[in-house]
Amino acid sequence: VLLAAYLSYVGMGAGVLQALERPAEVQAAQHLLQQHWDLLGNHTCLQGPALQRLIEGIIQAYKSGITLQGNTTSLGKWDYSGSFFFSISAITTIGYGNLSPSTAAGRIFCIFFALIGIPLNLILLNEIGQLMLLGVQHCAHCLEKVFHWQKKASFLIKTCALVTGLLLFLLLPPLLFSDKEGWSYEEGFYYSFITLTTIGFGDYVIGMNPDRTYPGWYKNVISLWILFGMAWLALIIKFCISFLE
Amino acid sequence: RTMCSGKLQTGLLVASYFVYLLVGAAVFQALERTAEKQEKIEAAQMKEAFLQNFTHLTVAEMEQFMKNLTKAIQNGVYPVGNESQLEDSNWDFSNSFFFAGTVVSTIGYGTLHPKTTGGQIFCVFFALFGIPLNIVFLHRVGKMLSLLCIKLGNYLYEKGMRKKKIKFLTLLFFLSTGILVFLCLPSLFFQITEGWSYSEGIYFAFITLSTIGFGDYVVGKQPGRHYFSYYRTLVAIWILFGLAWIALLFNL
Repeated sequence: VLLAAYLSYVGMGAGVLQALERPAEVQAAQHLLQQHWDLLGNHTCLQGPALQRLIEGIIQAYKSGITLQGNTTSLGKWDYSGSFFFSISAITTIGYGNLSPSTAAGRIFCIFFALIGIPLNLILLNEIGQLMLLGVQHCAHCLEKVFHWQKKASFLIKTCALVTGLLLFLLLPPLLFSDKEGWSYEEGFYYSFITLTTIGFGDYVIGMNPDRTYPGWYKNVISLWILFGMAWLALIIKFCISFLE
Repeated sequence: RTMCSGKLQTGLLVASYFVYLLVGAAVFQALERTAEKQEKIEAAQMKEAFLQNFTHLTVAEMEQFMKNLTKAIQNGVYPVGNESQLEDSNWDFSNSFFFAGTVVSTIGYGTLHPKTTGGQIFCVFFALFGIPLNIVFLHRVGKMLSLLCIKLGNYLYEKGMRKKKIKFLTLLFFLSTGILVFLCLPSLFFQITEGWSYSEGIYFAFITLSTIGFGDYVVGKQPGRHYFSYYRTLVAIWILFGLAWIALLFNL
């Protein structure tokens, strides 16, 4: 029965996403193809195969994280701050993918790095989660002593904690993102959620816009946010699971 | 006193976590930087060569074209070939199903992702309920797998082995068969179906089963290759059992 529910859930999601995304995709592809033919049309000395090779070359470069801009290429992504962020994305299993090792040695190192780093990360998140839980329970006890509310206090504190967590980790950060990254609120929320659940598509990644300047504290604060947010979300999901089971 | 040691433990944990990250970052940088530089030079050269050959083209038009091309690539549209490619959609049902699976398992390759606002919002809610469902599901599958191990253990016990030895042997058996079935054999399989090298296959298998899911390697995305119809379903089943196996390992 569980298998059936699982499969049908995934199938349902697939159907909905298909309905939502397909038209936009077709439009984008057509648009690009149109441009392609326009370009060839306007410059008749341009040959099809040469253009083809150029396109393939650009795709290849893109997959290595390089985009061509103006007379140069985009800034290197494997500087220290970029590599640090990459390490985080690996051991938290977010795995954005906008940056990924292209050398064989880098990949092998990545595997071993993750093999040890992921359990390490899980242990840390567990600790943070426990601390949060302890804090909440402590507050509940305090309230009980002061106001003699007993059951009410515990429930009140729990909802309070839930709401603060929601605010702090999911509802407020998008405001920061719309200021620093120029995303809409919805995009910021989408990014926050996708990151904290460790899905990490990589379609939105902070600090990747070459046209913007970011303050020095930005990436560090975001990393902290990711850590605590993940611990909080893990707690929430644990509760959901115990509810389901 | 136990409080103090507990706090010390947490402090040590936090410190080691960050040290680990810092060390990893440095190593990655050392390994990848030079290769990246090489790629950049090649890309610039390629562009130069192209412009050399076709002097009619103004730089501005070229820039515009490349910008649009990059945007399309970011959206997962690879404009190689001609009109016929328009038929194969990234969002046909089997691909969408695969995508939904990557969301729920939190792998999240990213080669495919919702671009419409509606799609993104739906994705959020879909994951909110789907991830716990996925975890519960994997738990069940894991239990089934562990039953097999228990059966093996009982069989050995009847044969008169000591408990400790049994535990060790079953763990070893579990680990080695798992590695074989979920890491080594699939990589061979991918060598044939995707044309990857064996190490690339292992890399892909690891990155997928750990749910990191960079998306630099994804099944069924090589242009110009033909995949038999149940390929993706087979891969999905492999991912499912592999994830359950890994979850079990953690519990052990």
